[in-house]
Amino acid sequence: MGVNRVLKSADRKISIVFILLAIGYLSLSYQLPPYPFVPIDSDLVPKVLGFLLIALSIILFLNANPKDQEEKKSSVSRQDLRIFILVTVLIILYISLLEVIGFVIVSMLFIFSCSWLLGYKNFKVNAMVSILFPITVFYIFNYLLQINLPSGMLPF
Amino acid sequence: MKRIFALLLLIWVISSLAACKQETKSKSGEEKWVPEKAIEMVAPAGAGGGWDTTARTVAKVFSEEGIIDEDIGVVNKEGGGGAIAWTYIHNLKGSNHHMFVSSPPLIFVPLNGQTELTYEDFTPLANLIADYAAFAVRADAEWDNLNELFEDMKKDPESISIVGASAPGSMDHMQFVKIAKEAGVDVTKIKYVSNQEGAPLTDLLNGSVDVYSTGVAETVEQVKAGKIKVLGITSPERLEGDVLSTFPTALEQGIDATFVNWRGFFGPPNMDEDAIQYYEEKFKELSDSEAFAKIRNQYGWSEMFMGHEEYKKFLKEQTEELTELMEELGLAQ
Amino acid sequence: MNTVQGLWQGFQVAFSWEGIFFVFIGVTIGTLIGMLPGLGPITAIAIMIPMVYGMDPTIAMVLMAGVYYGAVFGGSTSSILLNAPGVSGTVATSFDGYPMAQQGEAGKALAIAAIASFTGGTVSIILLMLFAPTLAQIAVSFGPVEYFALMFMGLVAISSLSDGSAIKALISGVLGFMAVTIGIDAQTGTPRFTFGNANLLEGIDFLVVALGLFALAEVAFLIKNRNNVGIEKTQNIGSLKLTRQDVKEMTGPLLRHSPLGFILGVLPGAGATIASFISYITEKRFSKKPEEFGKGSIKGLTAPETSNNAATSGAFVPLLSLGIPGSGTTAIMLGALLVLGINPGPLLFQDHPEVFWGVVASMYIGNIFLLILNLPLIPYIAKILKIPRPLLISLIIMFCMIGVYSISFNIFDLYLLLAFGFVGYLFRLFAFPAPPFILAFILGGMMEQSLRQALTISNGNFMILVESPIAIGLFILSILSFAFPFIKNRKIQKA
Repeated sequence: MGVNRVLKSADRKISIVFILLAIGYLSLSYQLPPYPFVPIDSDLVPKVLGFLLIALSIILFLNANPKDQEEKKSSVSRQDLRIFILVTVLIILYISLLEVIGFVIVSMLFIFSCSWLLGYKNFKVNAMVSILFPITVFYIFNYLLQINLPSGMLPF
Repeated sequence: MKRIFALLLLIWVISSLAACKQETKSKSGEEKWVPEKAIEMVAPAGAGGGWDTTARTVAKVFSEEGIIDEDIGVVNKEGGGGAIAWTYIHNLKGSNHHMFVSSPPLIFVPLNGQTELTYEDFTPLANLIADYAAFAVRADAEWDNLNELFEDMKKDPESISIVGASAPGSMDHMQFVKIAKEAGVDVTKIKYVSNQEGAPLTDLLNGSVDVYSTGVAETVEQVKAGKIKVLGITSPERLEGDVLSTFPTALEQGIDATFVNWRGFFGPPNMDEDAIQYYEEKFKELSDSEAFAKIRNQYGWSEMFMGHEEYKKFLKEQTEELTELMEELGLAQ
Repeated sequence: MNTVQGLWQGFQVAFSWEGIFFVFIGVTIGTLIGMLPGLGPITAIAIMIPMVYGMDPTIAMVLMAGVYYGAVFGGSTSSILLNAPGVSGTVATSFDGYPMAQQGEAGKALAIAAIASFTGGTVSIILLMLFAPTLAQIAVSFGPVEYFALMFMGLVAISSLSDGSAIKALISGVLGFMAVTIGIDAQTGTPRFTFGNANLLEGIDFLVVALGLFALAEVAFLIKNRNNVGIEKTQNIGSLKLTRQDVKEMTGPLLRHSPLGFILGVLPGAGATIASFISYITEKRFSKKPEEFGKGSIKGLTAPETSNNAATSGAFVPLLSLGIPGSGTTAIMLGALLVLGINPGPLLFQDHPEVFWGVVASMYIGNIFLLILNLPLIPYIAKILKIPRPLLISLIIMFCMIGVYSISFNIFDLYLLLAFGFVGYLFRLFAFPAPPFILAFILGGMMEQSLRQALTISNGNFMILVESPIAIGLFILSILSFAFPFIKNRKIQKA
């Protein structure tokens, strides 16, 4: 039986990932500096959790049905994957630019481009929402609620 | 007659003040520095905590009393026990329009090894207020003063537990350690429990723990209601107020130690001398104002004004004292 | 001063023009803030403090209390419609509320939530009124041992939070528990699993996890299904009308979780979020049809929605009768009382009865306002679902970002939000349930801390855990709830 065959089931692959995660977590738990003034130190619960995760992952591995092929995984089509990656890139851009160019402009750009990317063809409505929405939200937050969203490059 | 005189005096004061203002404005850039744009005041925590409250009330009094004309925006930067905000301000080297509010965690957090920055990386502008610690027990507890408590702790440290809202190595813990050590208690044997989710006071009231280490203001109403008694506070002298004045200090019980929870404002590194001077004066004016005195009263804060130089010296002393203490506990990194 | 006199005085304040006006303002602001994902009552009330300075203390408290319970009331809306919890107390609402909306019954789900909220709120005000003096004692009856037992009871039920594999539910729970160990450990001051990153020192915010695992993960699925044919069904709002059968379904949970939520709210360490989770899992654990939960069960929606609103009123007990804040929001209201010149403490009840009774009386009115405000608006609010999918998706993402940003004002938390979005998506892809993760995240953290507090107090002696009658009672309940499904199955087999 080849490795590929053993790991064919998605659950088996996941259980391996979790075991690795638990090992990493445990090794960090063992490195926690001791604090001498309490009966139960900060490392006990994490150690229990780490071993528990390993045990549960092993059970998951053994219970997994190798015939249970990865139907679910294949349901993510190439095109969906491309859109996912692009939306993620947009979100990362949004986060990293939020405090630089300010909430209003970055939100306008985000809403417009994200909706367009997801296939919204009505440019007029899209543009209107993208412009009006961030301004309204900004106004409500900064003036009515007095929560200062980053104004960035805008003068107010 | 008197009234008219008073009115005239008032008009004279107001008009001369107004004139003053115009003068400084017209001379701006030549002699006296004044802010050129909105000032950003950072509270290194989320909305609602002690830092946030201080920043928001100070900003409000500055504007309402007309002490500072420019807008003051309060910005919250939460995380790392303050470290996130400190890094943010530290990166604004030389800015004259940013400041943050701080208190003893600025000393504790670096000592705990959770940030590289210390107070020396910033420009202390002015300290405004002081709070003191109180050590409370249940009203029916067997101890009536700190010495009785500490005697029992020396005899049988395992039987007495202390609760506070912060983690070991931070304020509620260290303020107790500092006083207990001076009284001769073995500080490595202190049983300290931190309760951050629920209210530590409930643990005292229901008998789970024996001593509650907290701020003076938190105890007043409970003492009034006869639920708890305060064995000692950490101020140099007795405080003023109906109930407050009944709290004995540790000093008067023969324990030669105090602890102050100071609160003041800091600017980024390399702030201009003129700007430092400007803020120092403005904070002094704020501290002396009646509006701020009223707020101090409401929150039970004591006045403790220190200007730039004095503040620096004070912080140095505080850091040295606490470093020694934390090293003894093996907490200093 | 007896209850009747006090309440009379309270109603006089609450029914004054000023009183009615500010209750209305309070609950309206609360509802709006509650609906925005992430943004919660804490921030709103903290920001109001400087504004209420100088106001009549009772009226100011009436206003702020309105914001608080209004937010919990309104928070269910975004949980149900978008799977994006509006406040932390309504995370459990989305477990069954969102599936209901997906099945084209958004209107009904919102109506059930509104009625459950109203009932929970109103019943707990009556309990508050009747038992106020004795309740103060319940509030301080829980120490570390009792909290440990309560959290233990909640965690035991984790395996039941899955419709598929119990192992997967347990793994999800362990992962959630692991996530909450990140940050400075309160009992030792040791930073755990922070990788030297200062952003992680204070741990991960509950709402970051909740919005990531639920709202963003859902967005990923919306993206995938954006062109599906079945979409018309989810855009369907459905009728608001409840059938007799629906009402029958709701009655049990309403009766059970109003008092349960209220008592959990009274405990300073529990509060609305924990109350809603405990109500959800106990309802499921003792249900005759647990398999319906998580798929749009009326009982599963009613239980947490009743409980969180009941707990919100309960949270005023320790605040107003003892001066002890039980949650972040009530801690801020304690600060507000100081600003208003009222000293919060055990004497407040005696010295300022008008504040206590004014708030209580205003809550009756507030809850009625909320019902009137929310029910007619449901058809309009539910229209959100008619927004073209691509646009709706972009807006949800933006609101999640801004909601999280307004909690900490820290960009790092937004990256964390995105990361939890991915985790949530992968969970669903591989059929791991997300609720155990969030449940362990909130209960596990507190369980560890209270256990270690108890053991520090007892010098490491585990016997302390079985020395408290309340704790023993809760442990017995845990065993019962663990055994109940097996007992039930045997009965069915015998029959």
